[in-house]
Amino acid sequence: MPCEVNLIDADDPKLVKISQEARLGLNLYEMRRIKKYFFKKKRNPTAIELQSLGQAWSEHCCYKCSKPILKKFIFGIDAPQNILVIKEDAGVVDFDEDHAYVVALESHNHPSAIEPYGGAATGIGGIIRDVVCMGAQPIALIDPLFFGPLDSSTVPKGVRHPRYLFSGVVAGISDYGNRVGIPTVAGLVCFDEGYIGNCVVNVGCVGMVKKKHVIRSRVKKPGELLVLVGGKTGRDGIHGVTFASAELTESSEELRGAVQLGDPIAKEPLIHACVDVSEKGLLEGMKDLGGGGLSCVVGEMALAGGCGAEIELDRVPLKDAGMVPWEIWVSESQERMMLAVDPKNLKEVLKIFEDWDVPATVIGKVIDEKIQRIFYAGEKIFEMDMEFLIKGPIYNKPFQIKTIERKDAPFEEPEDYSEILLRLLSSPNIASKEWVIRQYDHEVRASTVIKPLQGVLGKNTHGDATVIKPLENSYRGLALTADVNPSYTKIDPFWGSASAIDEVCRNLASVGANPHSFADCLNFGNPEKPDRLGELHSSAEALGYVATALGIPFVSGNVSLYNETPYGSIPPTPTILGIGIVSDIRQCVTVDAKNEGNPVYLIGETKKEMGGSAYLKLLGISSTTVPVVDPKALRKGMDALISAIQNGFIASCHDISEGGIAGCMAEMMIGGDVGARVDLGLIGNMRDDYKLFSESNTRWIVEVKRDRAKEFEKVFKGILFRIGEVGGNTLLIQNDDRTLIDIPVKELRDAWSATLYDYMG
Amino acid sequence: MDTKYIKVAVLLIEGTNNEQEVYLAFKRLGADPELLHLKQLISKKDLSDYQCLMIPGGFSAGDYVRAGAIFAARLKSALRKQLMEFAEKGYPIGGICNGFQVLVELGLLPALDSRMSDYPQASLAINDSARFECRPTLLKHESKGNCIFTKDIPYQEVVLMPSAHAEGKFLFPLEKQDEYLQRLIDNDQVVFRYVDTQGNYADYPWNPNGSLYNIAAICNPEGNVFGMMPHPERVFYRYTHPDWTRVYKENGDGKAVFESVLGYIRRKF
Repeated sequence: MPCEVNLIDADDPKLVKISQEARLGLNLYEMRRIKKYFFKKKRNPTAIELQSLGQAWSEHCCYKCSKPILKKFIFGIDAPQNILVIKEDAGVVDFDEDHAYVVALESHNHPSAIEPYGGAATGIGGIIRDVVCMGAQPIALIDPLFFGPLDSSTVPKGVRHPRYLFSGVVAGISDYGNRVGIPTVAGLVCFDEGYIGNCVVNVGCVGMVKKKHVIRSRVKKPGELLVLVGGKTGRDGIHGVTFASAELTESSEELRGAVQLGDPIAKEPLIHACVDVSEKGLLEGMKDLGGGGLSCVVGEMALAGGCGAEIELDRVPLKDAGMVPWEIWVSESQERMMLAVDPKNLKEVLKIFEDWDVPATVIGKVIDEKIQRIFYAGEKIFEMDMEFLIKGPIYNKPFQIKTIERKDAPFEEPEDYSEILLRLLSSPNIASKEWVIRQYDHEVRASTVIKPLQGVLGKNTHGDATVIKPLENSYRGLALTADVNPSYTKIDPFWGSASAIDEVCRNLASVGANPHSFADCLNFGNPEKPDRLGELHSSAEALGYVATALGIPFVSGNVSLYNETPYGSIPPTPTILGIGIVSDIRQCVTVDAKNEGNPVYLIGETKKEMGGSAYLKLLGISSTTVPVVDPKALRKGMDALISAIQNGFIASCHDISEGGIAGCMAEMMIGGDVGARVDLGLIGNMRDDYKLFSESNTRWIVEVKRDRAKEFEKVFKGILFRIGEVGGNTLLIQNDDRTLIDIPVKELRDAWSATLYDYMG
Repeated sequence: MDTKYIKVAVLLIEGTNNEQEVYLAFKRLGADPELLHLKQLISKKDLSDYQCLMIPGGFSAGDYVRAGAIFAARLKSALRKQLMEFAEKGYPIGGICNGFQVLVELGLLPALDSRMSDYPQASLAINDSARFECRPTLLKHESKGNCIFTKDIPYQEVVLMPSAHAEGKFLFPLEKQDEYLQRLIDNDQVVFRYVDTQGNYADYPWNPNGSLYNIAAICNPEGNVFGMMPHPERVFYRYTHPDWTRVYKENGDGKAVFESVLGYIRRKF
């Protein structure tokens, strides 16, 4: 065989050196395992074989550190709506009798930290392919983003300024998502010191498919042809997965070549053609080429079908003629998909791709033996057992869980709450994200019925969840939202993660949607450090605890580890995408307050839980009392609220999160362009500031239609306080007749609206 | 002719991405729309078999040159004569968003001196904000009856249709600006102008791109070729209006555009 690497004679130091020089990202233990395998084969590996193992055994591809933890807590929440969950690139979940929705969520952190525009754009490209490869039409994109503070004065060497990263990432998502014609409808933008060195860019996609058209990411039987479709293969995106499975350093810039280049205009017809062939029943299997490129897709598809594969590498259409075999094999060039096609359907498949002007090439076939072989220029350059290649090592790495003592530092009550509320509203994490949202086409496809910005025309506020009406002949809707608050998770990974689930559920219930499934993207630091792995462990445990108690499954997800630089790790960031079902979109409600005279109610219990709150952050006071979650109370609260919305009692509804009751009410008034008078005397015995700004979970403010209030109070089963009514043009909040806050709505809006425009122009 | 026999060609190339919405708008009203790739129209189909041609929004060919320029060039090189004939017979040609840009690049709009000018007489330039803007826009209907795509909308009525574009600033060449604008007005070619909630011609954000004279939509002098930047197909139903949970409307404001053009074809052909 050509270009052999002498592994058999290599001692330990040499093995480590080989791994480093070839950028395999494999440790000594793994190199020894490879050496042993080839020793038995009585030959040395070729360069392409070694590179292939580097890809397949990366954390990114085989989850070698995280899998045992995920298995223990996250996988396997049984629910009747599960159709095909966890196992594939995207989860497939029941929507109605004939249709399923498809969910995928993943990270694109390292590429975005180095090349924000291209990194974010290809993140969108990749997640769309994950949905398309299930045979589904993508219908919505969701983008949770995390950066360092926009006003950071200096940043460490080799790191880009958060403003540069933020603007590049938003431009990348906007340019790619808008061009490809899929609406970007939800997400979040969060700023925190912990992301200065390593921003977090998560991308989610939801699609729709007829149940009978769901395609698996696997081959079915020997003899099938492997057809590579879409873009040509180039040198862009080589070593993307190994790059993603190591910490970022000052010199990461040199790995710019690991970032792929996106081409939405090649993608758009690729989506059409793939959905077309799959709806015509011409495919046996389909999978996208993402991390690891051909090296991962061929092996994973073949092995999942209990087969092997033979590839003729010369057939792969190339961008650069001079590429060597291993480069072709591991390139992560974008806009490519692999199809498994029965020879009898080949002609028709190729015809459809030709009609869409999308290149399609047979590059190999499925074989009976569980072996992968590659031929290049008439020579065999690769031959390995599938099981050895794909089933990478799994580790039970040591982890350490820090104990958290829940306590508050004492501090004196401030005097002017109006001033504090205005400062909270203008703080970047609470302030309007209009600057971002308007750059995304959030209504292409004309099915976004509840939009991310809501309210009186020209006077919008943020919605809690977006609702899509995916089918032409049905009023059934899908509600989407994404959340996590790193201010909580960095103090307490367990309750912080539990709170993320609570907030996602609150957001969905706010519009009248029943939470139906979750996807998780777990962004953490280096798992080889026990405390980092401890954070992942606590977080996963909390997610599993709340989701299991609610009976809502995780259907898809992704783990992104090594999110750290020499300056430290990111805060634990378990991003949760929540999908809810709306039985009739005509019943949905929005956040913006509606009419003078309507009574206002608080749902849920307000507790002295100030840890991680925006209020204490503003005052610079530390506390560890992160809000806890009671899944039973959450279930009860949601059910009561959803039923009230379906009964038509509710005029507007907003969940209480950052900024507490005061922040929540301000946002409702900003959107409705109307004031309110409320008194918090009834809601418990607490200091004024705790009542105003506590971020206890499982709470909402609802505005009830005046003529339905009696009925609402009679049938509502849960903790409920009537606190006031909508009216006037100021937000007046009192506690037992003492005025705490009295601000004209216009002032609230001015404080809330300007921040991002001020920073970003 | 009967609505169900009205064949509408919804034309696309790579990067067109609003075709499904336009297709559905006609379908819901009982017409016979067809999604047609430019390749098919050139090689296998005949434009004269259709009664209406629609060019939907998107980013045709990526809009990496000038928005709509590549789509227009391909159309022109293959179908110039057929397009001329189609327009001359009075068949409606509509362009939305990117489609409007294509019609301007083709010379079918504003077409001040002939049915189809050899060079574009106007342009849809980069928004003043230099950003893609996705926002609800309010449009005052200004056509006094010339435009066949808005016949069902009362004169001076304000309607809501969302905008979503990066290049939508309607401009004439500076040296001809006053003359062309006056002719556009005199010919009853100005169809929609951006206004605020009070119905006043207003600046950003109500005029989302900085268009001359707040122009959002125009037609040709004969009224059968029509282009608009905002998206009527996105507000076919009331449930896609941004404020439907607070303002009641029977229908989406965009529906009338599709009803108008179908009504015209029914009456005329």
